[in-house]
Amino acid sequence: MPGRVEVMLHKPASQVAQELQACIGCNECLLVCPALAEPITIDVLNRETFSGPISAACARFARACYQCGACVAPCPVGLHRDAMMMWLKVRMIRSGWEE
Amino acid sequence: MARFLRIIITLLLLVGGAAFYAWYSRNGQDASPDSLPGFGFAIAGTLFIILAAVLYSRRRRLRKNRVVGQLHASLQWHVCFAIVGLEFLFLHSFGNFNPRSGTYALYGMIALAISGFIGRLLDRLLPRKIAGEAHKALTAQGEDRVESISQQLQAIVMHNTTNIQGFAPASLTGAEHAPQRSGSLVSLSGGPLSNHFPFEYKNQPLHTPWDLAYISLEATPQELSREAGQYRFVPDRKSELVRPGALMPGAQEHISELREVERAMQREQFYRYMIRYWRRFHVLLVPVTLGLTLWHLIYAAELLLPVLLHR
Repeated sequence: MPGRVEVMLHKPASQVAQELQACIGCNECLLVCPALAEPITIDVLNRETFSGPISAACARFARACYQCGACVAPCPVGLHRDAMMMWLKVRMIRSGWEE
Repeated sequence: MARFLRIIITLLLLVGGAAFYAWYSRNGQDASPDSLPGFGFAIAGTLFIILAAVLYSRRRRLRKNRVVGQLHASLQWHVCFAIVGLEFLFLHSFGNFNPRSGTYALYGMIALAISGFIGRLLDRLLPRKIAGEAHKALTAQGEDRVESISQQLQAIVMHNTTNIQGFAPASLTGAEHAPQRSGSLVSLSGGPLSNHFPFEYKNQPLHTPWDLAYISLEATPQELSREAGQYRFVPDRKSELVRPGALMPGAQEHISELREVERAMQREQFYRYMIRYWRRFHVLLVPVTLGLTLWHLIYAAELLLPVLLHR
């Protein structure tokens, strides 16, 4: 079917790390996010997505993110913020944030 | 703060509408959909539904003056306006649910609102499920588990293949030490058989005699080690080979793990499709409800306009 966009599954950590490095910090993904209720800066989100401690604000955002994919289209460098958020969710499961 | 304000405004509108409906139903003279309060409820309800639909979709398409978190607030207002609009349209019916255009329009609105609620529930529940499935499909280091298991399986196959290759010459090397019994019929490398035969008759080579046992009463190496594991190619009940996966130790566990990861990925995909298509279904209900509402408006106008014009 023309124009049909396949559902993308999660990405492994190595690809998420590459995408985080490629992020130019333009904030476009956060501006169009319908799940983000409080202001979070993109550099804090990028830093906490891959490693290190997860702040309460980022954890709330990760819980609220419902993987709608609205963040993908506006990215000027074609990154998948939803895959990065999924990695943050997996990290939260592994670190005991999510039961 | 904005959240509380939103909740308070929504509750005030809901309670205010319900209180007026209750008061008018007891004290009013004409409690019907085409009474003045009935029209009031209809107009207010329609306005709230329009606000719910237009404000959020406009905010989503906005390219300028965007602020982080604003779209989320718009989504919350979208939900609040939809609830208030639905209540007002419900009150507009004044309990009159005859199967006419208005009732079908109301059913359309109810279906739209319920699909929105279910969508919000799915948005809340399914991402957690998706994260759980993604967690299963990734290794502790965050790499693809399917790839990791495939590599392990390949390593097992390689290991077993190496062992088998190492095992075959060793078992057959023993036969070389007894050329008078087995001759040279077996090629160790699987190549052509040797031309040297120990027995000849009139310059014609004789194949290994079938009655070697009569020539020598000594037990052959095969007979001596008959109980050894490598000679039990046809497994009996006692054999270790009947155990599942005995020929490829560890492979069955890896294959079942691989299947589990594949199932997790299928579930993840299913949940993602569910979120996506439920949203599309919700949006698809909008033109249906709009069509039913327009039908109802035309029907109502056909009834009311002659009355109003002849007053």
